[in-house]
Amino acid sequence: MSMDEKKIRLRLEHISQSYVVKNEVRCAVDDVTLDVYDNEFLVVLGPGHCGKSVLLNIIAGIEKPVAGQMFLDGGRLLKSDERIGMVFQKLALMPWKTVMANVEFGPEVRGVAKGERRAAAQKYIDLVGLTGFEKAYPNELSGGMKQRVGIARAYTNNPEILLMDEPFGQLDAQTRYAMQEEIMKIWEMEKRTLVFVTNNIEEAVYLGDRIVLLTRCPGRVKQVYPIGLPRPRDTVDPQFLRIRKEISQNTDLAL
Amino acid sequence: MGDIQESADRLGNAERVALDQGRKKKTTYFYMMLSITGLLAFLVLWQFAVMTNLVSSRFLSTPLEVINLFVVKLSDPFPDGEVLGINILSSLNVALAGFGLAIVIGIPLGLFMGWYRGFDAFMRPIFEIVRPIPPVSWIPLTIVWLGIGLQAKAFIVFFSAFVPCLINAYTGIRQTSQVLINVAKTCGASNFTIFYRIGIPSSFTMVFAGVRVALGNSWATLVAAEMLAASSGLGYMILMGRQFARPDIIILGIVVIGSIGVIFTFLLGRLENRLLGWKRL
Amino acid sequence: MKETPVLSSAEKKELRLKRIYLLLPLLSLALLFLLWILAATGTNKDSFPSPLAVWERFLLIMKRPVKDYTIFGHVLQSLRRIFSTLVVAWITGISFGVLTGWNRKADALLSPLFTAFRSVPPLAWIPLITIWFGTGEGSQMLIVYTGCIASIVVNTQAGLKNVAKMYLDVGTVFNASSRQMLFQIAIPSALDAVFAGVRTSTSAAWMVVLAAEMLGGKSGVGFLIVRGMDSLDLPLVLMSMIFIGVVGAMLAVLTQIVEGVLCPWTRKKSA
Repeated sequence: MSMDEKKIRLRLEHISQSYVVKNEVRCAVDDVTLDVYDNEFLVVLGPGHCGKSVLLNIIAGIEKPVAGQMFLDGGRLLKSDERIGMVFQKLALMPWKTVMANVEFGPEVRGVAKGERRAAAQKYIDLVGLTGFEKAYPNELSGGMKQRVGIARAYTNNPEILLMDEPFGQLDAQTRYAMQEEIMKIWEMEKRTLVFVTNNIEEAVYLGDRIVLLTRCPGRVKQVYPIGLPRPRDTVDPQFLRIRKEISQNTDLAL
Repeated sequence: MGDIQESADRLGNAERVALDQGRKKKTTYFYMMLSITGLLAFLVLWQFAVMTNLVSSRFLSTPLEVINLFVVKLSDPFPDGEVLGINILSSLNVALAGFGLAIVIGIPLGLFMGWYRGFDAFMRPIFEIVRPIPPVSWIPLTIVWLGIGLQAKAFIVFFSAFVPCLINAYTGIRQTSQVLINVAKTCGASNFTIFYRIGIPSSFTMVFAGVRVALGNSWATLVAAEMLAASSGLGYMILMGRQFARPDIIILGIVVIGSIGVIFTFLLGRLENRLLGWKRL
Repeated sequence: MKETPVLSSAEKKELRLKRIYLLLPLLSLALLFLLWILAATGTNKDSFPSPLAVWERFLLIMKRPVKDYTIFGHVLQSLRRIFSTLVVAWITGISFGVLTGWNRKADALLSPLFTAFRSVPPLAWIPLITIWFGTGEGSQMLIVYTGCIASIVVNTQAGLKNVAKMYLDVGTVFNASSRQMLFQIAIPSALDAVFAGVRTSTSAAWMVVLAAEMLGGKSGVGFLIVRGMDSLDLPLVLMSMIFIGVVGAMLAVLTQIVEGVLCPWTRKKSA
């Protein structure tokens, strides 16, 4: 493993975010400094409402931080960038678009010709196993299938860095395990830099190359854990359980 | 934007709050001025259009004339035969009679229909037949049956207010959470107890929405009723304005009708807040 | 292999109740009809036409049209009037709603004025409109316009103001231009609300067209009602009311079907 040789893609420097709510300053993210390496599966782990989603929103350009700077491949990152894609927590599939229209949304916005974007979308629809559902509307799909559409949509825009905001948070436990395997499979086939946010320790250890553990509100980096376990990982392997316990003991309780 | 925010970070918390409040105040002020500008521009344009004879004064009177007429009309019964105050009272009387009747009949009927299936099955067809007939088209028959007095107009107003009262009470009580019903059942409550302890309170929000629609409907229908069958009231007043070719009377009537409608909506909103305070939490 | 279903007493009771519930609507309809006949006999004969009289009036108008039109002709006249107005109202109303719902400055500038106009009941404009334009076709359509514009604007506005933030976030992440945000995200997500406006405006137009025709029309169902009242031809009045009700109900069903066709995603809910 050439961990030390890795190229830095995304760098966050002293990122802070806070809001004025009812005449009080509420801090959500406090002084987060973080490097994301090329093709790495980085998991941001933290208790509920600790500002992990805010952090992703900042990287995606949905929110502007009150302080700090971000760099993508050395250049300053000031607003949403084509090289960064996102899978949303609440799916955010547009109910008025079919699966195909949802998936090809990114290229469509960029003005890619219909034939070309259809082909790209079809590739990822097939990859996530939704072949045959191109004309269905999101309302007709199950929770897991909807999230597959969300993943296909993000991939179809061909981003170099993919942000995933608790994508499986609203799935039942069974579907969640299946989707974790699925995402691992896709990541290994289509290598991208992935930043994955979750509040589930097992999920974090199962997926991540590295885990960034945040504190409870406001979110600060508490510790970074490199996970050297070979893949596919076994969730009842003693090594796995040891890491899981170690992180678990260091995690703040969500309130 | 980015620069402002970055500088904001260097401030202390108190200063940040002050800055934020200042910015908020500024935008509120800006949009309020924009709204006032829009309204004023309209009034000024209107005044000028008539003063410069762009629009003949036979067709339109200026806002100032209307304000003037408002004062005169308070004590002058010409041309429709009543002073403004009497016209307003007469209209209010009709509207509230019809509206009140619609509430007293429509809401309980809707609640019972929504709760008791048998009653629903019996009443539903009759209601579905009456519902699509616009209240205005009842006017001729009503005149034949009841003349042009208070009763006739109240009947027409009743029709327009009755439908939303009933529908909303019906849907409202239908949406009662099954969980709450089950809780009451396990406590041994009878069907009727559940109906008035759980069903009725659950339907309040919907009922209120219906009442709001009903009030708007009754006020709108009132105007029609008074134009077709009346000898006083605001609708009658604007109709006379038409007959005597007095645009100022018509516009005054329109403004008064609109304002009373707004006051109604406001009062109902206050009442709703008072009664449904728990909703806001 | 036919199983005889064994029903508990509760299930039997349920079954019996179901049968009664099926009969009740028929019973109430029969009762209503009977009441009508009773009301129409005896002393009220002149002021309450019997079902038979209404039926005969229907046959008569089919043979001898009133003012060149049979009842269907009058219905079509009214329908033509509302739909030619509705098209204009939809185009202008949706444009205005989108403008004020999407652009905060336009909203602040124009909405208070619109609210002021809207708080006046549509029928109250009739005297002013007739003093300006007489009682011709144009002013009737203008009256219908004042009656149906509010609901379409209000619904469109609300739809655009309430676009879920997460859809807009998707647009931001994919770098959509503000034009794409409006046309690809905000407007489609508001379509449900817009359609609610289309539905309400249609039924409002149907109501207002009657009033407009009653106050000075030369054709249409509203005119027919007034004609019946002026000549004390109550069967004609009642027959017109029945047609008005039926057409009103049909319009409501029709708009629902059109919505299902144009917005297929609202039809299919997850199983």
